[in-house]
Amino acid sequence: MISSPSHGLWRGSVASTVAFALALALLLPLPSTAAAPLAEDQGGVVLVPTSGPLVSVRYLFEVGSKDDPKGKEGLAALTASMVARGGTTSLRYEEVLDRFFPMAASLDGACLKEVTIFSGTVHRDNLAAYIGLSTEMIASPRFAPEDFERLRDEALDYLTKTLRGNNDEALGKWTLQSALYEGHPYGRPDEGLVAGLKAITLDDVKSFHRDHFTQAALRLGLCGAVDQATIQQVREGLAQLPPGEVRAEALIPNAEPIKGLEVTIVSKPAEATAISLGFPLSITRADDDFYALVVANSFLGEHRTFNGRLMRDLRGKRGLNYGDYSYIEDFIQDGQSTFPIPNNHRSRQYFSIWIRPVPTEKSVFALRAALWELDRLVEKGMTLEEFEGTRSFLLNYSKLWVQTLSRRLGYELEGRLYGRKDLVTELAERLPKLTLEQVNEAVRKHLKVGGMKVAMVAGDAEALRERLTSGKPSPMVYDTEGTADEVLAQDKEIEVFPLRDLKVRVIPVEKIFE
Amino acid sequence: MKPQILLAVVLASASLPVPALAGDEPKAAALPYPIRRATLDNGLEIVTVPFDSPGIIAYYTVVRTGSRNEVEKGLSGFAHFFEHMMFRGTERYSQEAYNDVLKALGADSNAFTTDDWTCYHMTIPATALPTAVEIEADRFQNLRYDEAAFQKEARAVLGEYNKSASSPFLKLEEAIADTAFTTHTYKHTTIGFLADVKDMPNQYAYSKLFFDRWYRPENCTIVVTGDVDHEKVVELARKEYGGWARGGRSVTIPEEPAQDGPRNAALTWPLPTLPILALAYHVPASDPSNPDVAALRALQEAVFGETSPLYRALVLDEQKAETLTAYADPHRDPHLFTVFARGRRIEFMPEIRRRIGEALDSAARTPIEHDRLRSIQSHLRYAFATELDSADAVARAVGESIAITGRPDAVNETYAAYDRLTPADLQRVAAKYFASGNETAVTLETKDAP
Repeated sequence: MISSPSHGLWRGSVASTVAFALALALLLPLPSTAAAPLAEDQGGVVLVPTSGPLVSVRYLFEVGSKDDPKGKEGLAALTASMVARGGTTSLRYEEVLDRFFPMAASLDGACLKEVTIFSGTVHRDNLAAYIGLSTEMIASPRFAPEDFERLRDEALDYLTKTLRGNNDEALGKWTLQSALYEGHPYGRPDEGLVAGLKAITLDDVKSFHRDHFTQAALRLGLCGAVDQATIQQVREGLAQLPPGEVRAEALIPNAEPIKGLEVTIVSKPAEATAISLGFPLSITRADDDFYALVVANSFLGEHRTFNGRLMRDLRGKRGLNYGDYSYIEDFIQDGQSTFPIPNNHRSRQYFSIWIRPVPTEKSVFALRAALWELDRLVEKGMTLEEFEGTRSFLLNYSKLWVQTLSRRLGYELEGRLYGRKDLVTELAERLPKLTLEQVNEAVRKHLKVGGMKVAMVAGDAEALRERLTSGKPSPMVYDTEGTADEVLAQDKEIEVFPLRDLKVRVIPVEKIFE
Repeated sequence: MKPQILLAVVLASASLPVPALAGDEPKAAALPYPIRRATLDNGLEIVTVPFDSPGIIAYYTVVRTGSRNEVEKGLSGFAHFFEHMMFRGTERYSQEAYNDVLKALGADSNAFTTDDWTCYHMTIPATALPTAVEIEADRFQNLRYDEAAFQKEARAVLGEYNKSASSPFLKLEEAIADTAFTTHTYKHTTIGFLADVKDMPNQYAYSKLFFDRWYRPENCTIVVTGDVDHEKVVELARKEYGGWARGGRSVTIPEEPAQDGPRNAALTWPLPTLPILALAYHVPASDPSNPDVAALRALQEAVFGETSPLYRALVLDEQKAETLTAYADPHRDPHLFTVFARGRRIEFMPEIRRRIGEALDSAARTPIEHDRLRSIQSHLRYAFATELDSADAVARAVGESIAITGRPDAVNETYAAYDRLTPADLQRVAAKYFASGNETAVTLETKDAP
């Protein structure tokens, strides 16, 4: 298990060592007031006081799908499900639901690569009842056989039905991650693999919970009008968790460098072609260069905005598809919002471009267009005007990432895992000092790579393979009028953009994630 | 002429929501913030909801036009398509210039369209209010785009259809609407029939008519929530929107006749998928003064929610269903109450359908226990209170209230109606709406399933 930065917030016995650090509320939208933790290194609970009627709670464990034993892929996520959507030693799951129902609350569980988060937001009228129930669920799960069967079947259905047959965009993204991290602890959906899930027993789940869901692995945060009595209640509620040990640092290796363009086509019935492409990065939020790349990436493809060049050029000027974005971190959208979920801490990150489904006959052009746009950024960099506009945008926009209690708390916890302040504060402090030269240098250093992996979900895989490997241009054919001359001239460059050292493999959809 | 401002203030209690379990005394308003209103003399309504949201506001433009308004054949999906066109610029602010302004503000800005309304929303620093009023007032009055931009955007909409088409839920939703409705425009989904989406590049002339018909002040409301001064919003709106001319055009939305017998549709999916059953029943429009509406919402929880006996049996104990739920999304005209089940195996589906029917029969025969109803009322109140966690969420709730009923405070009436419910109300609606003659059953299963 990877060890996070040394100033952990909850170490040793919960009952004996809790001294909570008070992280000041992030007063929006003034960057200068953002989080000034008073006692960050003392350990304890992250407490973000606010005055409203709601309280958010986050129980974060430093365990994730990377900790799945070989042959039991999916164990971490299934264990998290058994906590969040199963009974307790004193309550069957249906009784848990009965308790939550009048408060309109739940314990949401999310198992990601390196962390598992249980969280909820509740009205303060119900806070004591919520803390009592949620801590019991985490510390004393029932591990009932009927819950195990239900939740394992759900996970299997997700892999074999939902991912393979109901959502080509998610299928493309998980195919990319699986390809990028082949043979690596990150190289599969967090839900696991079909064979791994089938091999898991209820005893495996019990052991995994006992070994990994410990006080040593826990970081806890509360946001809202909470007092010492609440802290004490949490402390007592989680006292049954084993103390565990702060494990020695076990570095997650980076993925192997990629040579050339390695394309994985997932073959399935599909009307359009979903595309994701990317490569591993050597930096994370712990590195200074990351913050320079934040600016360049926002300029290239800020998620679900019209600011990014990819979106403006591919969708806006060409009508190619619904959206085109880029990322320098794993990005999981938070519900219907535009923002990523907080607390997706990873010690290894990757760059990616997401091309939303394009008409099949335009898929090779779309791939080339994405590569061409990235190449243009690397070779030409940003102008001063582009840099200043994007930096100004980010300084304001990032304040919106912490609008809700739960998100605010999530960012507070997350910064500590990277050994940094929360991301919003880091940006507020760093961006004003950043220079254009630093950004363009970071782009050349980290985004100019020898190779890349590509995932394409397509209906006629062999025809796509042929088009990719033919060496022929892939001209954009418009069925709309009035394309600008400048765009048509770019199209001529894009249609012959080299697909260097191309390797293509086709995986039938029924074989993937097996 | 200087626009005359009619000012009305609806003050809800600023106290916190209280649990319905507290007793039978009158409850505080569900929305725990004051709603303030003004109407410009061109008919544009201004609604503000000031509350503690330091430095942040949500700025919404609610257009009471959605796919419900698409009465012309071959033009389904146009309300949504037009939502896209609203980002294509004006003479004063080109598309790029408009985006640059939003970018400089660090705005979280987008739009969405439903059956009944189109919503343009942004979350921005409170200090950016004058800029927001200026750029929004400009595009709603002076939108300008050429045919080339129109055609490119039409293909982005096809891309939006394509991104959803790998999910069986798009196909399912299309079939439910198309089968349950014969006459009303709810017969098509908001994104529209695929053939119409493909034909959109050819409808440039119609798009001008669409803008002229619906993007008029009397059909729109500006909602600003969070760290906002009502008088300031009104002053800015009067300056920037005051010259916006009324339209007065309208169309007649055809009424859906009463269903005259059971209807069915059977769909297949080319890949392995869990079998789906959707049972849809016509129910009244979401008028909070109709007690049946609140009763149906509570019935969803009572019969199909996670704590219902049927859910417990089918999903948790017997594990014959992976999903069981019911929904009746708020609509301006009579719409549907839909029961949705995903089975674990195809052979379980006949039994799942039978037991859904039995549960509804039972709800019609036997009144719900008082404590259980209290628990449902508490759930609905706290669910709403928990939802109101940002300026955007408050604006969304108020915007929907306006879109569906024309009144921002109808959201409070809805929650007050929940508090008045009795077991007899649930029993009554269970007996009234779920006859087989009012039912549309849509199934979806893997193609060539054994």
